[in-house]
Formats: sequence, structure tokens, C-alpha cells
Amino acid sequence: MNPVEVQLLSKVFETKEGPLFRKAPRSLVAVDSISFGVPKGEIFGLLGPNGAGKTTTIKMLCTLITPSSGDALVNGFSVMKDQQRVRENLGVMLTGERTLYWKLTGRENLEYFAALYHIESGYGKKRIEELLDLVGLTEREGTLVENYSTGMRIRLSFAKALLNEAPVLLFDEPTASLDPQSSRLIRDIIRDLKKKGHAIILTTHNMEEADILSDRVAIIDHGKIVRLGPPGDLKEKVKSNDIIEIEARNISDHVAEALESFSEISKVAVTTADPSGDKGLLRIHAEKGKEVLPRILEFLVRKQTTITKVSFIEPTLEDVFIAETGRSLRD
Amino acid sequence: MRTSSRTKATTQALAAIFWKGVKHYIRYPGNFLIYLFIPFLFTLLIFGMGQFVGGGNATANFAARTGTSNIIVYEILGSAVWMTSWVVVEDVGVALRDEQMKGTLEQNFLAPVNRFTLLVGISLTDVVITTGIFFIVVGVTLAIALPSSFLNLIPAFLTLLVGLIPMFGIGFLFAGFVIRFKEPYVFTQIVNLLFATLTGTYYPVTFLPYWAQFLSGILPQTYVIDDMRQIILANQTLVNLYGSVFVLLALALAYPTLGYAIFKRIEKRAGVTGEFSKY
Repeated sequence: MNPVEVQLLSKVFETKEGPLFRKAPRSLVAVDSISFGVPKGEIFGLLGPNGAGKTTTIKMLCTLITPSSGDALVNGFSVMKDQQRVRENLGVMLTGERTLYWKLTGRENLEYFAALYHIESGYGKKRIEELLDLVGLTEREGTLVENYSTGMRIRLSFAKALLNEAPVLLFDEPTASLDPQSSRLIRDIIRDLKKKGHAIILTTHNMEEADILSDRVAIIDHGKIVRLGPPGDLKEKVKSNDIIEIEARNISDHVAEALESFSEISKVAVTTADPSGDKGLLRIHAEKGKEVLPRILEFLVRKQTTITKVSFIEPTLEDVFIAETGRSLRD
Repeated sequence: MRTSSRTKATTQALAAIFWKGVKHYIRYPGNFLIYLFIPFLFTLLIFGMGQFVGGGNATANFAARTGTSNIIVYEILGSAVWMTSWVVVEDVGVALRDEQMKGTLEQNFLAPVNRFTLLVGISLTDVVITTGIFFIVVGVTLAIALPSSFLNLIPAFLTLLVGLIPMFGIGFLFAGFVIRFKEPYVFTQIVNLLFATLTGTYYPVTFLPYWAQFLSGILPQTYVIDDMRQIILANQTLVNLYGSVFVLLALALAYPTLGYAIFKRIEKRAGVTGEFSKY
């Protein structure tokens, strides 16, 4: 049996919305009957836009949220029935830097959590030293976390997830807000953990990260797995199309919709290319891209868009997502 | 991984939670200082109002109704127990919500540590804090007013220790309510003021209407305050006060059982609604 077995797992949140005294019940399906398994020594990526259901899935696996139906087994223990045993077999890093006690030092944080994980104190001390060294925080172990940089806090939070040497590791956006150097360090450690035989689930909305780290990726949207497989295989399926990326000003959804009416174009997704929202990025999946490109450009000029960059690109996991949903991961 | 045996693991977790709490108190010392000053400030407020309303007869009226003319010690004892109950409700009741807002609650709940151990660990820190409040506030008062022997501090302290157990039970109850309904300080402030009104903090509970006296009778603070006054102001012993000690022991069994049962129920519900992640 795989260390992680997810069987038709679903989560429906029941809420009440509307004005006071006239609230109407509403059901929100966050995760919809997903199933997958993660064997030993595999990095399994859950990729999807914000709100797709990645974090809810992780939280059900680590017993913070009770599933509405289905079940998941962690090292053979059910998240519905054996929650304590599930927690013993999991190392979890949830997203964000506020997962630590800011008024404790780095070492004190790890000592505190080592005690909560029932790690024998003598062994715990040795383990904490190893982990501080691993994430490059030995010299700052006595500094209060409130005086750490964001990157240091995330590295400490990552170290915390490794304290109990659990067979199953869950990392929720482990490199979000990290500088490139720290991101590389975390990725290298994740690869080492895979070599040591840990089953690793990684959620991310960073497609490059999912691509380079994961052995298999599940692309999740609106709570459902829309594609599952090794990143190379998934990308291969969209290779039959050319992918044109156009950066321009004044791109609207109407322009994208109009482009989709071109017979050669199968999908168009629009994202914002810069934080000011001024520039947009069109990602167009088209047959015979070079032939259709002049018509696309002419159409865009007619629609008064200012084109700043045009390129043909290799398909990424984002293109797999676009091909499946017609939307960009960054929407 | 090398893990500790079950008993050792629980002790280790309790110690870690306890020390984390103590370190936070040391590194945020403002709260503890406020807890020390408030009993004196409220006593002065009540004393001033009493003098203003009662005029020349204030002390005589007070003695006739309470059996002692030592207004300051009477009021300080009430204030000190009220402060203790305040700390318990605020710390235990709000602790989990506080962790939730900091983002650390889920981290605690991810660990295989038992929820009861978590609540008891938080309570252990409060035993130290409330003991500090008791010895500093009551000790200083006795040193100044000296209505009886310093040795009376021991049985008075024992009464407080027994009384703390049901107070922690009330804290567990509020820990659940606060996770469910958020807005922790609305709860704690209302409850703390109700406790001050109902438990004889500044006047004997016999002045309250009968229905309110019934509520006083089910609150542990009422017995702790009364016993302390009996011990320090009337030189009574714990043996003489066996009736109220027995009630306190019964409440020490009832409140933690009820409080934890309700907490567990709300916690289970929070898992279904995803409440732990909501700020």
C-alpha cells in the first residue's frame, strides 16, 4: 500500500450568506471526489490556481478539516478514524510565515514543537541542531523569530515540518515569498527527502516549481483533478499546438473571446503581466501558429491594443491547465 | 525517530507548553504588571465610592453587614480572586483564539499531542501567574494591614488552588465558545464583569436577589472569596470551612468535565466547518 491513498475525498462547506435575519444556506464544494496515491520516494505536486482546493485537500490529509465524504489513508491510518496516528506519521508545513511563535527564538520554537511531537528530548536536541544546520539557521538559532527575515521564518517553518522524520511530508507552497537562493535550498532538501524514501505532497501555484520538482502532478481546478501524470507526459499532450505569448496593453477579456473564434485557435488565456495591471499577457494555443500569427496581430492592432512582445514558447504546465480549463493558473 | 514513552511524552509536552507560556509572560511583561495593579486600583475605587455614599457611617455600616471593619483587606481579597479568575478566563479561554489569530493554532493541532494536554499546559502557566498575583497582592496587603498571622496565607492559598480547578473548567468552556463565535474579548469582558457582580467580590452575596444568589452558588469564585475572608479576617481554619471546601471539590470535578466535553464538541464541529483557519 502507498504511504498516501486518497479515495474519493470530498469537502463541502455549508455556509449562510445574505443580510442579517435573511441568511440563506449555501453549499460550497471545495474538493470534489478526488482520488490519488503517492508511493514512497515520490514528489506529488498539486497544482492549481488560488481557491482550486489544494489547501483544503492538504488540511483534510493532516486532519485539520474533516472530509464530507471519502477517506484518505496516511501510512495506513484513516484521516476519519485514526487522526492521532495520522498526525504521528505526517510532517506538515503550512503556508505563511506566521506559523511560528515570534516571541520565541528559532531553537525554542523547534524545541517546543519537538515536545508536542513526543520526540525524546536528548534525540530532539541532536535533531534540532541537524535541522538548524540544514536550513542555514545555526548562527541565528538564539534570535527571536520576530527579528528574522521572511525567508528565515519560512526556512524555520520548513525545518519544523521535518522534526519528526515522518514518512509522509506535506508542503503547502514551501517556497512562496522566498528569495531565489532560499528557494533553491528548499528544493534541494525536498529532492534529498525524496531520495530517502519519503512520500511528499507539494502544493503550489508556481508551475515552474511543480514542473522541476514533481514526479507526478495533479492539476486541480474547482476541487476536481482535471489532469494527473508526470509533467513531461502532460506537456506532451499540448505539444500538438503552437503556443504564442503576446504581451500588450489594453487587452480585454472580449478581445480574448473574439480570438477564440479563429478556427486555428483552440484556447486563449489572459493574465496580468505587471503588478500595475497595465500590461496583459495573452497565451494562445493555435494550430499552425506561424501562419495565423499575422492575422492575430492585425486583429489586436485593430482592437487598439499596443503590442510590446511576441514569442513562441515551449509548453509548460500552465498550458496544460489552459488546455483543460481555458483559464490561466494566475487568474 | 526516537519517541518518548506515553507518560514521559505527556510530561514533556506539558512542560514545553508551560515554559512557552512563561516565556511569553516574561517577554510581554505588561499584562502581569496590570494584573498586579488592578486589584489595588479597584479596591481604592470601591473604597472611595463607599466613603462618598456612606459618609461618616460608612465603616460602621460595612462592619454591620460584613462582620469586619477592615474594608481594605476585605476588598483586596475579593479583588485578588477576581483577578485570578480574570487571568484564567482570559488566558485559557482566549489562548486558543489568540493562537488562531497568530497563525499557530493549526501548528499545535497538527501535532499528535492530546487537546486536553494542550489546555492543561496553558492552565499550568496560569497557576504560576495566579500564584504570583496571590502572594504579591495578598502578601503586600497583609504586610501593611496585618489583620492576622502570615501563616494564614497557607490555607488561603490552598483554597485558591482548589478553586482554580473549576475555574480552569470554566476556561475550557470559553475556549470552545471563542473558537466557535470568535470575538473573544466580548465574551471575557462580559463574563468577568458578571463574575465581579455575582461572586461577592466587593460585597456579600446575601445582598443579591435570590435568583442571583443561585448563580453565585454555582460559581467557584464565591466560595474561594468567602473562605479566604473567613481565614484571613476571622482566623477560621479549613476544617471549620469543610462545607464550602467540599462544594469547591465537587465543582472541581464538575466544571472541567463539562468544560472539556463542550470544548471537544465545538472542536469537532470546527473540523467540519473549517473554523480553525478562520480569522
